[in-house]
Amino acid sequence: MDSDRKKTKVLFVTGGTSLETKRVYEALFLVDSGLAAAQWDHVMELIQKILDRAQSRVISIRKWDERKLAYPVQGKGRGTYILAYFECVSSIIRQIERDVQLSEEILRVLVIRTDRMNPADMDKPTPAMLGRSDSDAEKSGGSEPAVEEVPLPNIAIEDV
Amino acid sequence: MRKTAPPNRKKKVMTTIREQTQCRFCRDKKKYIDYKDIDVLQKLLTNRGKIFSRKRSGNCAGCQRKVNQAIKRARFMSLLPFTV
Repeated sequence: MDSDRKKTKVLFVTGGTSLETKRVYEALFLVDSGLAAAQWDHVMELIQKILDRAQSRVISIRKWDERKLAYPVQGKGRGTYILAYFECVSSIIRQIERDVQLSEEILRVLVIRTDRMNPADMDKPTPAMLGRSDSDAEKSGGSEPAVEEVPLPNIAIEDV
Repeated sequence: MRKTAPPNRKKKVMTTIREQTQCRFCRDKKKYIDYKDIDVLQKLLTNRGKIFSRKRSGNCAGCQRKVNQAIKRARFMSLLPFTV
């Protein structure tokens, strides 16, 4: 009798439609900056393939930003973030996360539900779109020689 | 003989300073705190990367929970540090 009760409980938890309902999700993929800069199409193709394997309907996919990481991930100091919105069945999210773990190119992914977001939150312009360099990028940019047009004195080499 | 107060003594002007009755997110009527808003979340961290208490940040309980979740998501994606 007790075992029957347990069975019914399990059926109640897993047998509902909650695992089969389609929802809109937001995924942020983290890719190495060097790879993204060199093979952008390949990276996008890879992400597209992962989402296709999950039988999801991609709503939008775009570059979010390229910045210095707060801590190194798999030995990488800089990363490119790719933001994707897609609609799929909730049970398939684990497959997406597993595909990313198995992939050597994609460092990390975070998939979250968007039902608490406003449409404005989803359409917000990305830092990459705004062309705003983040503070870390500015710092690293400071170490590099600044490209400024300094008026050169009109002295011919022969004169000196 | 009882001393009486001078008649033209000015009364103390009581200025009431109204405190902020709502937290920063409730004031803006924000229902969702985005983990990608690093500038907003950075203000709620110490310089060692720890999350400020509700008392320090002035957030309401609900918003503090949302902030906590957003910061932890940002940390996972290496947008914010775990420790400095």
